[in-house]
Amino acid sequence: MVSEELLIQQLQAPDTQASAFQLLVDTYKEKLYWHIRRIVLDHDDADDVLQNTFIKIFRNIGGFKGECKLYSWMYRIATNEALTFIKEKTKKLGFSDSEVQEKMINKLESDVYFEGDFIQLQLQKAIATLPEKQKLVFNMKYFEALKYEEMSEILETSVGALKTSYHLAMKKIESFLKEN
Amino acid sequence: MNKKINSFKTPEDYFEGFTDKLITKLSEELTIEKKTDGFTIPDAYFDSLYQNIQNKLHTPDPKVFRINTFKKYYYVSAVAAVVLLFIGITLTNKTKITFDDIAISDIENYFDDNDLDMSTYELAQMLPIDELEIKDIIDNQLNDENIIDYIDNSIDNFEELNLDPNE
Repeated sequence: MVSEELLIQQLQAPDTQASAFQLLVDTYKEKLYWHIRRIVLDHDDADDVLQNTFIKIFRNIGGFKGECKLYSWMYRIATNEALTFIKEKTKKLGFSDSEVQEKMINKLESDVYFEGDFIQLQLQKAIATLPEKQKLVFNMKYFEALKYEEMSEILETSVGALKTSYHLAMKKIESFLKEN
Repeated sequence: MNKKINSFKTPEDYFEGFTDKLITKLSEELTIEKKTDGFTIPDAYFDSLYQNIQNKLHTPDPKVFRINTFKKYYYVSAVAAVVLLFIGITLTNKTKITFDDIAISDIENYFDDNDLDMSTYELAQMLPIDELEIKDIIDNQLNDENIIDYIDNSIDNFEELNLDPNE
């Protein structure tokens, strides 16, 4: 396994950039895919956003100064790309945020790439009711098992605020599941 | 001789195949873990991902009209000119109209009715941010009562705010 520092150097040097980029894609494609997928829900949308994320990473790696960890920087780009994708979709359709979330969930019920049972579907419905930040925090903590410190670097939010968001998200999901 | 005799045995070649078996088991467990939220992916999706990214990376972007900073006033002028023309045609009197005569609502209506296809980034580039003040964006200044009402309606438990009582 190449160290992060070396990988960044290789990504920024023209003669090693191509092979380093392939290594970067191979290393992070699955993690970033699942992070994006849980935001946009649909596989085709996740595929689009993931490709755009890596393209953005490739085009901007030259300016990466190492102020944070490489994977935090990539997660941040992936998160922004996924959220922008949903915002653009909302704007194009002319619906409100909650209407778009409802449509995304309804689509999930007939999605061939969603094999969740009743409880898993209910959980996704509950997550869809959360405000954006709580949704991100819940997915990153619950499904991706990221540490608060890692999430703090990615979302540029304090650990205390993240803990509060996660706690609130859990309470809302719990009450949604009890009511439904 | 102090060599202790190990009376335990392992199947033949047990350790030789151990790593492979462990990796297979780990990958199976990882696959199961990923499916616990119900989402799945097409077969071999990740195998072709790198090539798809490469294809997209080498496809030239469609030509996008970029609003450079030095053009921002031209753009505003162009919008103003269209609004002026519209008002000029609809008004019957011959009074000379200046930019100041255009109601803000007319400019807002023009933006509302015409799809300018501008991203928020482009709009941000166009706006003279240095001259903006918070009161330009927020019509009503927030008072304590509004803030407490908002928190009261949005937060289930005040304790979750982690407020320091000494502050």
